Amino acid sequence: MSAALLIEDLVKKFGTGKPAVDGVSFDVPAGEIVVLLGPSGCGKTTSLRCVAGLEHPTGGRISIGGRVVSEPERGTLVSPRERDIGMVFQSYAVWPHMTVHQNVAYPLKYRRKNTSGSGDINTKVRETLELVGLGEYAQRPVTSLSGGQMQRVALARSLVYRPQLLLLDEPLSNLDSKLRIRLRDELRRILKMTGMTGLYVTHDQSEAVVLGDRIGVMKDGKLLQMAPPGEIYNRPADSFVANFTGASNVLLGKVLERKGEQAIIDLGAAGRIQAWTPQPLVAGDKARVALRAENIRLGEHGPANSFTGRVTERRYQGMQTIYDVEFGGQKVEVLELGTAARHNDGEVALTLPPDTCWAYRDEGQPTAD
Amino acid sequence: MTATSAAALPATTDAAPAARRWAAPLWVSALLIILTFLVIYPLLMLFFGAISDSNPVIDGFGKFNPSLTHFIAVLGNENVRLAFFNALVACGGGTILAVVIGLAFSWIVVRTNTPFKGFIAGASMIPLFVPPLVAGVAWSILGSPKTGLLNTALKWMGIDFRFDFYSMSGLILVFGFYYAPYVYMFTASALRNMDPSLEEASEVAGASAFTTLFTVTFPLIAPAILAGSLLSFVVMLGIYGVPAALGAPANISVLTTYIFKLTAWSPPLYNTAAAVAILLMMVTAILVWAQQRVLSGRSFATVAGKAFRPRSLNLGPWRWLTFSLALAYLFVVVVLPTVALVIAAFRRFLFFKDFRAVFDMKAYSWVHFNSIFDNPLTMTSIWNTMKVGVITAVIGGVLAFAIGYTINRTQVAGRKSIDLLSTIPVAIPGLVVGVAYLWAWIGLPGGLYGTIWILALAFVARFIPDTVKALSTSFMQIHKELEEAAWICGRGLLSTIGTIMVPLARPGIVASMTLLFVLAVRELGSSLFLYTSDTTVMAVLLLDYYEGGNIGKTAAFSLVQTVILGVLLGITYWLSRGSAESTARAG
Repeated sequence: MSAALLIEDLVKKFGTGKPAVDGVSFDVPAGEIVVLLGPSGCGKTTSLRCVAGLEHPTGGRISIGGRVVSEPERGTLVSPRERDIGMVFQSYAVWPHMTVHQNVAYPLKYRRKNTSGSGDINTKVRETLELVGLGEYAQRPVTSLSGGQMQRVALARSLVYRPQLLLLDEPLSNLDSKLRIRLRDELRRILKMTGMTGLYVTHDQSEAVVLGDRIGVMKDGKLLQMAPPGEIYNRPADSFVANFTGASNVLLGKVLERKGEQAIIDLGAAGRIQAWTPQPLVAGDKARVALRAENIRLGEHGPANSFTGRVTERRYQGMQTIYDVEFGGQKVEVLELGTAARHNDGEVALTLPPDTCWAYRDEGQPTAD
Repeated sequence: MTATSAAALPATTDAAPAARRWAAPLWVSALLIILTFLVIYPLLMLFFGAISDSNPVIDGFGKFNPSLTHFIAVLGNENVRLAFFNALVACGGGTILAVVIGLAFSWIVVRTNTPFKGFIAGASMIPLFVPPLVAGVAWSILGSPKTGLLNTALKWMGIDFRFDFYSMSGLILVFGFYYAPYVYMFTASALRNMDPSLEEASEVAGASAFTTLFTVTFPLIAPAILAGSLLSFVVMLGIYGVPAALGAPANISVLTTYIFKLTAWSPPLYNTAAAVAILLMMVTAILVWAQQRVLSGRSFATVAGKAFRPRSLNLGPWRWLTFSLALAYLFVVVVLPTVALVIAAFRRFLFFKDFRAVFDMKAYSWVHFNSIFDNPLTMTSIWNTMKVGVITAVIGGVLAFAIGYTINRTQVAGRKSIDLLSTIPVAIPGLVVGVAYLWAWIGLPGGLYGTIWILALAFVARFIPDTVKALSTSFMQIHKELEEAAWICGRGLLSTIGTIMVPLARPGIVASMTLLFVLAVRELGSSLFLYTSDTTVMAVLLLDYYEGGNIGKTAAFSLVQTVILGVLLGITYWLSRGSAESTARAG
């Protein structure tokens, strides 16, 4: 049955140099799906492969269902096949020399803890194929399937023996975008139906939000924040998290004062702005204020953080419109939903709700887009 | 290259429209005529020889009494059937052994953390370059039932077991040892190109490493295993040197040795030889065709165009076991034979009172080297070999360039036929090329027979597919636009070839020509039928020494040949890294 995963201070070094995974700790309670999100090279896949046992960690401890499966300090290293896990690979990794049925039946045939008879195997394979919507395809060679169907075979293959933990390594990134969205929603449904504990790795934030009960954002081998999707999106703990999840506007300024989690930032010519901050900023610190284009309100003067700006460019995109707005020497992008573009070039009122302005210490990091 | 392809040219001037119109067909016809002369004419003569019973030496050229009965009689002959059966057993057994060794090696090199993998991978290619006759000679020194060095050592150690390499099992072992790299080349690259997550998925699913190997890894590279084993079988089938050295003393004839025996008869049975050669060629052609089918079929192993981090299995302390297995193989195929040749070449007599006598320095001398160099034929053969090598390299290189360019870079009509004709020799064993050239020229008075040109032309025909393939690869790396840019600049086709293609493809051209030189130097099978005492070459003379029974001279000349080849190969390697695959097919 599905079991909890506990990772403590995981370190993985390849050769010399910077570790690929640098002291990552988190847990996944039984039945929960955790998504590791981050740009390529951030260590998310390496972490996942350490959990699978396909990479051997350099340090830290990994336990699945209370059993330590990896602890280099003590020389503990359980092989992948003894970990009772399932894994879905980015390249599907379905075996091209077998049929759909043979692929899915393979784990049942070769697993050591195999108590079921052969009649049982067929039932289980059929049930699992039905679950992923491939009931009709059992006898087809896998090479005749489309990419999406192959990934369903891979999913069925990893679910058929009801492992304690399911690992998914960017399972949707090889699919085209329409299929990706469909399979993404279905994946969540199937995983929740089976009650599987899941660890899912992706670089796609929309996948992470839909699939994850919690999302962990990683960068340079470190876990920056681990929280439910709503919190990641509304209370990013770090300017990288804010930026990576889509807060593309950055205003540079100086901290004037801070009260609790609220700070007042001086933006120079534009005036002052009130912002939320998770960091212990003090007066005089250089600060960068991140905010999402869709959280800025155009055409209204709110009770706080209200400014008057000028629309310099308008890009109509059908279902939404993007405005470049300038105020007091600062530039922001504003997104307005809806098919009507209501604002014209020229003067405009804008409000930056304090709750959606997040101030972080400015360490001179470049602004990614 | 005097004529050019008009079709591929942008019309720059209208100075000679008529010449333009005729240039392409003339050029294609010229190439087709040359290829027909080199490949088709000898094959046709061989075919006529096989179905007639007139002797070209006695009856003169052009007299045939065609009748199929002769051919059928040959196929029904008991000796032919025995040679055919022996060939199948020796090559089949050798192939099985080669697959086991080759597969184990590719797994060790590609999939494990065995120490010094790079060295193992490189050194395991050495057997590809050992001339088969030299390997045969070395193993007869090591494993002959009475005086073999291995048996002397066993006797000294008091072990009752004796090796006998003058036997079918000896043939199989030597074949298997020396042709394993052919299997390795195919399986190693298939393993390298395989998506490692296919194996990881199996491991995660709960299968053991062993189960994974046999249910996932090997089935996935099955096409490569099959292609490699078919190739090694075909190469073994065409080898003369090994069965001549090891089979003959035990009276085991395979197809190649039997064909040569027929022509050495008095009077020579050229018709029968031709018929058996046709049989050998048909078997080879079918297998080569099957191998091409396997290779062009869908390959399971290569999945995505993504670069994989090679998966390497941590063997722990077992990696020293795999390391010693690899060393043991290298010891058997490289060190032992070399030591045997050196001992035999420098010892006055190859007789040992006991094992300690091996280290008795007084028994060693240069006497065998002096004696082979006292023989004027030795220098003649070396000189002839070099001449033949140079002629082959130059003619073959130029012809291959012309063919490769025409096939790959122009749209002229008839280039498909050129492609086809230049590929045919792939399916013809060297020995059959020899018999075919014999039939083509022996009856023609004042012809090529008896000159070194016939050897060179036979070699060109034999190696043209490999040379064209090697050159085509380097052509493909030169973007077509580089040429087009020169045309736009107002250059003509010939001048474009001269100023753009030749300089850019030079490394490939030089490498192909040196390779051709090396292949010509070590070729035995086709030389056997085409040399005369004036035109003898090294490989043939070595066979003479061996059959003359003086093991010291044979070993000494083997070493001379090996050193010359080693130097040539060093130069080739220095000129082009990694063209081992092109030597591969030539055996």
